[in-house]
Amino acid sequence: MAYSEVENVAGYVGNFTVTVRKKARYVDVKECTACGDCIDVCPVTAPDEFEEGLSTRKAIYQPFPQAVPSAFVLNIDECLGNNPIACGKCLEVCDKDCIDYDDKDKLVDIDVGTIIVTTGMAVYDPTELDEFGYTRYENVITSMEFERLINSGGPTQGHLIRLTDLKEPKTVAFIQCVGSRSENKGNPYCSNICCMNTVKDCLLIKDHYPDVKLKVFYIDIRAFGKGFEDLFQRSKEKGAVYIRGIPGEIEEDPETKSLKLYVENTTEGGTECHEADMVILSVGVHPREDSSAIQKLLTLQRSQDGFFLEAHPKLKPVDAATQGVFFAGCAEGPKDIKDSVTQAGAAAARANRLMMQGKVSVEAITSTIIPELCKACGICVNVCPYHAISCDTEAKTPATVVEAACSGCGACSAECPFGAITMKHFTDKQIESQIDAMLEVDPQDKVLAFACNWCSYSGGDLAGTNRFQYPPNVRLIRTMCSGRVDKKFVLRAFARGAPIVLLSGCHFADCHYINAVHWTQRRVEKLWDQLEKKGIRPDRLQLEWISAAEGQKFATVMRAVEELRQKVTPEEVEHTKRVLKDVLEPPKKDPAKGKPAESESAASGVAV
Amino acid sequence: MAGEAKFTCLRCGCDFMLPFTPGVTEERTCPKCMSNSVRRVKQKKD
Repeated sequence: MAYSEVENVAGYVGNFTVTVRKKARYVDVKECTACGDCIDVCPVTAPDEFEEGLSTRKAIYQPFPQAVPSAFVLNIDECLGNNPIACGKCLEVCDKDCIDYDDKDKLVDIDVGTIIVTTGMAVYDPTELDEFGYTRYENVITSMEFERLINSGGPTQGHLIRLTDLKEPKTVAFIQCVGSRSENKGNPYCSNICCMNTVKDCLLIKDHYPDVKLKVFYIDIRAFGKGFEDLFQRSKEKGAVYIRGIPGEIEEDPETKSLKLYVENTTEGGTECHEADMVILSVGVHPREDSSAIQKLLTLQRSQDGFFLEAHPKLKPVDAATQGVFFAGCAEGPKDIKDSVTQAGAAAARANRLMMQGKVSVEAITSTIIPELCKACGICVNVCPYHAISCDTEAKTPATVVEAACSGCGACSAECPFGAITMKHFTDKQIESQIDAMLEVDPQDKVLAFACNWCSYSGGDLAGTNRFQYPPNVRLIRTMCSGRVDKKFVLRAFARGAPIVLLSGCHFADCHYINAVHWTQRRVEKLWDQLEKKGIRPDRLQLEWISAAEGQKFATVMRAVEELRQKVTPEEVEHTKRVLKDVLEPPKKDPAKGKPAESESAASGVAV
Repeated sequence: MAGEAKFTCLRCGCDFMLPFTPGVTEERTCPKCMSNSVRRVKQKKD
C-alpha cells in the first residue's frame, strides 16, 4: 500500500489488526498512465524532495522514477486547483478523468499474523556544524545530495558539476564522520555506511573524470566488509588521497567560490590548508523522527542511540521483544544494502516460519487474573509492557489477559493493589516461602537480594564462573523480572529480620520485558518513602542495575551491600520487626467482609 | 519541565544534582560510588 500510514495496531501475534490510513492522492491510480500531460500544464513548482531540492517538481508529480504504482500524486497543499476557478488545468487536460479534487483519506483495517518493521533511517543535517559552512557555502553539499548529483537519473543526468558555476570541479574533498562519532554535536556512534559510500564515490568520479583530484579527510577508514578493503585500496591506486584529520574550518573565496580547508594532519603532524572546488560532507544516519510513534504502536524497545532494539543481539537479531514483530534494515541500526537484504531475508523467514506453523508457543510463565478479587481499576492495563491486559473500567468487568501476548514479567502482579493477579510459576507463595526459608536462621547475618533472571542473576553466574569473590552470606532470590518484586516481598523480608534488602535488575536499555524495569524503580522510590515514614532507614533497601556481562559489578555491589549490612544495628532490626509485624500477621478481618485467600488454582508450581 | 534536581546516594550518602523530569523514570547513577540507589531529595513544604 503506497502513500499510506499505519494509524493503529491492535491484537497480538497471529491476530494483529492494523489500521492503515490511505492518503488521498487526488489521482485515480487505476486510470492514471503517468502520461505527464498534467505535469506539462501545472503552473506550480516546488523543490523536489527526492532530488534533495536540487531540482523542482510540479504540484502534481511522480514521487520518484519507477515508483509503484506508476501513477501521479497531487500535493493538495501546493495545488491551486482546490478551487477549479483558480486553476484546474490538470483536470482539463487529463483525457482519462483521473483527477479528483474531492478525494478523501481512507482508513483500512488489515488482519495480519506478523509484522516486519522496515521504517529505515534519516540522514543527519549538518547545518549545526558551522565550521563546515553547509548552507552558507553553495559548494559544500552532503553525500546524499552528491548521490543525486551523480545519478544518471538525477538533476544533471549524472554530470559532475559544482552548484555555483555549473562547471566540472577540478578538486573534490570528502569529509568523513560528519554527525557521527561525535559526543558534542551529531551522534556518538559510527554510522557504518559512510566510509564505503565515499570509497564508492571516489571510484565513480575517477572512472568518469580521471583528472579530478580527490581528497578524503577521515578519522579512520572502516572498510571491514567482504571485498571492502580491496575497494579502498583500488580507490587509492586510482589517485584518491586520504588525509587523516577532520578540517576544523572551511573558508570560501568570495570570487571563485572555491573552498579552503584547514586541517591538522594527524599522520604527518602539523596544520595544513587544502583547496577544493567542492566539498562533500559524508553525513551519518540517525533514527527517523517518527520512530517513537512506531514504538508506541508496536510496544517496541529502542536502544540508547534511538534505533529499535532486537530481542537478543545474537540469538534473536531480527525479532522484537513483542512476539510476532520483526525488524529489517536501518530501523534496527545503520547498515548497508547487503546487510539490509540479509536481514530482510531473515525477518521474512522468521515471520514465515511462525505463520506456517499456524500456532505459537506461549510463555509457561504468564499472569492470570483472579476475577473475584479484581476491582477493574485498570492499573494493570497501564503497567503491562506488552498491552496483553484489557479491562473495561467503566463496566467494572474483571481484567483479562491474552496469554499469547503476555511474556510473564509479573509487573502487573506486583502493581495490582488488590492481589488479583497471580503468576503461573514464581507465585507469591513460592517467593514468600523462599524469603522465609532464607531468613529462618540468623537473619541478621544475611543479605537478601532479589535478582532478575536475564541480567542480574546471570551477572551473579558470571561472577561465580570468573571466580570474583563476594560475601558468602548473600542470599539470592530469582524472579523473571525485577518488576515482579512486589513491595510486600520487601516488607516481608524486613519483617523477618533482614538487615538489608537488595533489588537488582537489568539496565533500562537491556530490559528483557521492554520497560518493566521502570516499574521496579518507581516501586522502590515509593518504598523508600514508606520505609522512612515508618522510621526505617531507606538505605536498607538498595537498588542496582546489573547486566549479565557485569560479573565484576555484581561482586562489587555485593561487597558494598555487605558493608552496609554491618552498619545495621540489632536494635534497628528489632524495631523494624515490631513496626512491620502486621506484614506477617495481618489483622483479622470480619470474615463476611474480608477478602478470600489467594487462589492457588492458577499456580501450578509447588511452594519451596 | 525538564531541569535538575538534588539527589542523594543511599550507598555512600553523597548529594549531587542530576537532570530530572517529573513523571519520567530514568536510570541514575551516583557519580561518586556508581550506585544506582539514588533517591531524589524532595523539598519539604513549610
